[in-house]
Amino acid sequence: MNALVVEDVYKTYGGRPAVNGVSFSVEEGEIFGLIGPNGAGKTTTLRMISTLLRITSGRITVCGHDVATESDAVRKIISYLPEDAGAYKDLTGRAYLKFMAGFFADGGDAEKMVMSGIGIADLGERIDSKVDTYSKGMMRRLLIARAIMPAPKVAILDEVTSGLDVINAFEIRDVIRQIAARGVTVVISSHNMFEVEMLCDRVAMINDGKVVLCGTPGELKGRFEASNLEEVFVKAVKK
Amino acid sequence: MNHLLNIIRKELRELMTVGSIVSVLIMVFIFLGAGTMMNEQGDSITTPSEIGFIDGDGGPWSDRTVEILVAVYMDTYGLSEEEARGFVKVIEVALDDNAVVVERMQSLGIDAAIAVGPGYSADLDNKVRATISEYYIFTNPGLLGSAGSSMTSLMIGEISNRISKELVFDIIGPDDAAFMLNPIKGTDAHTYMNGEMHAGVRPLDISMGIMNQTLMVPVVIMMVIMMIGSIVISSMGNEKENKTLETLLTMPVGRTAIVTGKILSAAIVGLVYGLLYMVGMMFYSKGMTNIGGLGGSSPADLGLALGPADWLIVGAMVFLAIFCALGMCMILGAFAKNYKAAQTMTVPISVLAIIPMLINMFASWGSLPTAVQVPLFIIPFTHPMMVMQNLMFGNTSVVLAGLVYLALFAMLTIFITVKVYKSDILLTGIGQTKLARAFARKKI
Repeated sequence: MNALVVEDVYKTYGGRPAVNGVSFSVEEGEIFGLIGPNGAGKTTTLRMISTLLRITSGRITVCGHDVATESDAVRKIISYLPEDAGAYKDLTGRAYLKFMAGFFADGGDAEKMVMSGIGIADLGERIDSKVDTYSKGMMRRLLIARAIMPAPKVAILDEVTSGLDVINAFEIRDVIRQIAARGVTVVISSHNMFEVEMLCDRVAMINDGKVVLCGTPGELKGRFEASNLEEVFVKAVKK
Repeated sequence: MNHLLNIIRKELRELMTVGSIVSVLIMVFIFLGAGTMMNEQGDSITTPSEIGFIDGDGGPWSDRTVEILVAVYMDTYGLSEEEARGFVKVIEVALDDNAVVVERMQSLGIDAAIAVGPGYSADLDNKVRATISEYYIFTNPGLLGSAGSSMTSLMIGEISNRISKELVFDIIGPDDAAFMLNPIKGTDAHTYMNGEMHAGVRPLDISMGIMNQTLMVPVVIMMVIMMIGSIVISSMGNEKENKTLETLLTMPVGRTAIVTGKILSAAIVGLVYGLLYMVGMMFYSKGMTNIGGLGGSSPADLGLALGPADWLIVGAMVFLAIFCALGMCMILGAFAKNYKAAQTMTVPISVLAIIPMLINMFASWGSLPTAVQVPLFIIPFTHPMMVMQNLMFGNTSVVLAGLVYLALFAMLTIFITVKVYKSDILLTGIGQTKLARAFARKKI
C-alpha cells in the first residue's frame, strides 16, 4: 500500500517554477530518497508534502489524506525534520521533547512519548542541559528523537546527516533503519548520493524541478552501467 | 485548548528568562532611584540653606538688612530667631576683590551670598535706589542647580518690600502704609469647565492635577507596546533563524492556535512588565511632583474622577491596543528573516507609540486641528493614551468611536496575521511574490 503519492505536482514562486511536474509514490515501511543538486526542488517538494507550502497544481496524498484539503489530518501522521533545523535554545532537551509531545498526547501518554524520545536521543544527563549548549551532533539526535517519538506513519527528513561527523551520521542512519523496520515510511532528501545508496530502498533523482529517474539503487546502477548513484545521476542528466 | 496552553507555556518560558526579568527590574530600580533622587532634590529646595551677607557698607541700613534677612528666614521656614541667625553668615570682606569673596564663601561652605556696597545706607537715607548684589558659586548644572539663586532673588525682593514698608511707616503711619503697599486683596479665581463653575481654581491647577493623573498611563502604554513589540518580532526572528518555525508549523495544531498562543503569552509578559514599570513610574512621578509644588488640583475635587465604567473602558482600550500592537508585530515578524532583521522591524511600532504619547503631553484631543486628529485617530495607540482625558471632559463620542475602531483594528490584524501564517510568505519571504519579483526586475 502506498503511504505517499505525489502526482504531477507543480510549485511556482511569483511565476518562477521551482517544482515542475514531480510524480512518485512511496510504499509503507519503505525508505525513499530524493536526490539531486542544490536548488533542484527537493526541499520544496518535502515542504509541500509536510503542508508547509501550498501546491500550485497537482496532488499529494499521505496515507490517503490530501495535503491541500486535509492538512490537519496529514500533520497528525507525519513528522518533518527540516535541514539545519534547531530547537528552542532556552529550553532543556527534555523540556523541548515535552513541548513537542504536548501536540500529540496528554498526561501519561505524553510522558511515555517523552521517555521514548529521551531513549532515541541517547544524550544521557545532557538531556537536562539547555539546548543552547548542545553540539551539532547532539542537536541532530534530539531533533531526530523529536521527529520519531510520536511514531509517525511518514517521517520526512531533509538532509538528515548534513554537517555531522562520521560517527554521528552512522548512528543516525542506524536509527532511520530501525524506525523503517518498525513500519514507518521514511522519505529523506540528500545531495549525498553515497548515503542515499546505503540507506534507501528506492530513490528518485530530481533535477530542475523534475524527476529524471526513479528506481532501486541497484536497478539504476544497472540501467546506466554505473558503479554508484553519483555516476548514474551525471549520466542521466547528460543524456 | 491544550495545544494553546502548550504554546503559551513554552513562549512564557522563553520570554521570561532571568536575563529579561533582570533587565526590567533594573529599569524599575532606575525609576525608583530617579524618583528618590527627585524627592531628595525637592526636599533640598524646601529646606533652608545658608546665605552669606557681605557688608561693604557698615551703616545702619546694612545692619537693618541683616535683621530683615533673619526675619525672612524665620517667616519663610518657620524658624526661631536663633535658628534663623545660624543660616545668615555675615562676611566682612572688601567687595573689590572677587577672589577673596569666593575664597570666603568657599571657606564658609556657602554657594550664595548677597552684598551691599559702600553708600548703601546713605542712598536709602537720601531716597536714592540702593543696590544689593548677588554672588554665587555654581557647581550643579542639573535641573535644580539654579534653585538656590531663585530663592536668593526672592529674598532680595522680600528685603526690598520690608524696607519699603519701614520707609512708608515713617511717613504715613502703619495703617495707611499696610493699605497703600497692598491695596488689592488676593485674587479670587473662577474657572468654568464641563458645564460647572469651579471657584478658587485656575486652568493651570486643573492641567497640573490632570497631568499628574494621566501622564503616566501614556508613558507606560508606550513602553509596554515598544517592549512587547520587540518581544514578538524578535521571537519570530528567532524562530526563523533557529529554524524552529518550520517544525512548529508541521505540528498537528492550527495556525490560529500558534498565532493566539504567541500573542497571548507576549500580552501576559507585557502586562507583568507593564505593572512593574508602572510601580517604578509612580515613584518617579511622585518625585517630580515634589519638585516645585507641581501637585495641582485633585481631579476628584473638580468632578473629573473616573468611575468604575470609565476604568472599564480604559482597561478595554489598553487591552485592545496591546492586541493591535501584537497583531501588527506578528505580521511584521513574519517578514523578518532572522533576529537581527527583526530588531529593525520594531521601529515603525515604536514610532507609532511615541507620536501619540508626545502629542498627548502637550495637547488634548479637543485642542487639535482636524488635520492632526484624523491621522492620530488612525494610530490605534492614540486611543488608550487619550481616553482618560476624553472621559474626564465628556468626549464620549470620541471614546466610543475609538473603542469600536480598536476592536475592528484588532480583529483585522489577527485576521491578516492568521492569513499570513497560512501562506507561503512565512517561509519563502515576500521576495518570492510576483509583485516583489517585478519590483526587483525594475530596479535592475
